[in-house]
Amino acid sequence: MITRGDKTLIIFILLVALFIFVGFQVYGFTGGRTYAIIEVDGNPYQKVSLGEDGPQLKINVPVPYGENVVEIDRDKVRMFYADCPDGDCVRQGWISRPGQIIVCLPNRMVIKIESDDKLTQKDVDAVSF
Amino acid sequence: MKKPRKMIYLALLVTFGIVLHVIENMIPLPFPIPGAKLGLANIISLLVVVFYGIREGLIVSTLRCIIGALLVGSLSSLLYSLSGAILSTIVMALAYKYFKDIFSLVGISILGGVTHNIIQVTVASLVLSTFGLYVYLPFLMVIGLFTGFFTGLTAYFAKQNLSTTLIKINFVGEENINNET
Repeated sequence: MITRGDKTLIIFILLVALFIFVGFQVYGFTGGRTYAIIEVDGNPYQKVSLGEDGPQLKINVPVPYGENVVEIDRDKVRMFYADCPDGDCVRQGWISRPGQIIVCLPNRMVIKIESDDKLTQKDVDAVSF
Repeated sequence: MKKPRKMIYLALLVTFGIVLHVIENMIPLPFPIPGAKLGLANIISLLVVVFYGIREGLIVSTLRCIIGALLVGSLSSLLYSLSGAILSTIVMALAYKYFKDIFSLVGISILGGVTHNIIQVTVASLVLSTFGLYVYLPFLMVIGLFTGFFTGLTAYFAKQNLSTTLIKINFVGEENINNET
């Protein structure tokens, strides 16, 4: 019922899928620069350029009810410290790809990553197939 | 005497395809990937290709997509499903014609499912002009592999059953069903 050709086909397709997946993971699909944008209470606070040559620093961000610390390590960003009670944003860890976002709701602070690449700027999120 | 019977049977198959298309739209999938679906209507396309050939297969899948989109879809979903269905029917027909010794119906169905997904991603990225959509391709290919496997099994059992029934009531000529496995 399932011939040898079928098994070869299945293995071949799995290999091709793995190949494309690894290719995207290694090379990525974003050509342009990425930026981490820190917003407090809806207003932009600071914009940091990310990448292999990016900075390694910690930024103290004054928020309405305390202080948050954002850590930037070359091409990725995380919330290092937040004095909110739940700390969900700290537990979320590092983000590095355009479109990813860390939200600290109690302190009204958002870190998002954006790209100046034309291809990824138009975010596709809901298309009916 | 042969022609009206064939037309009636093709119309019946189109109806089955539409029903499967509608039911498929009601089933939620646990993947957050756009374009992933079961491809149940693929069973019908495959059966038509097996019993009648490429021309009838194209007619049935085109009609099924248009009427299915009128019932449950939108213009963009018609675009994706029509292009995918036509190309996957062509691929399945060619594979059945030339490689039926190598692949069983399961393999042909897998080919069809994976082709459907590749075409869908291509058309979607042309429409939205973002080639970033190709990131979904490996996941869609693996999903197409699994759904194609199971729709292929279904088509295999349906073919076994239908081929005896259909010859008995003279809906298909015996020349179309000669390679029993």
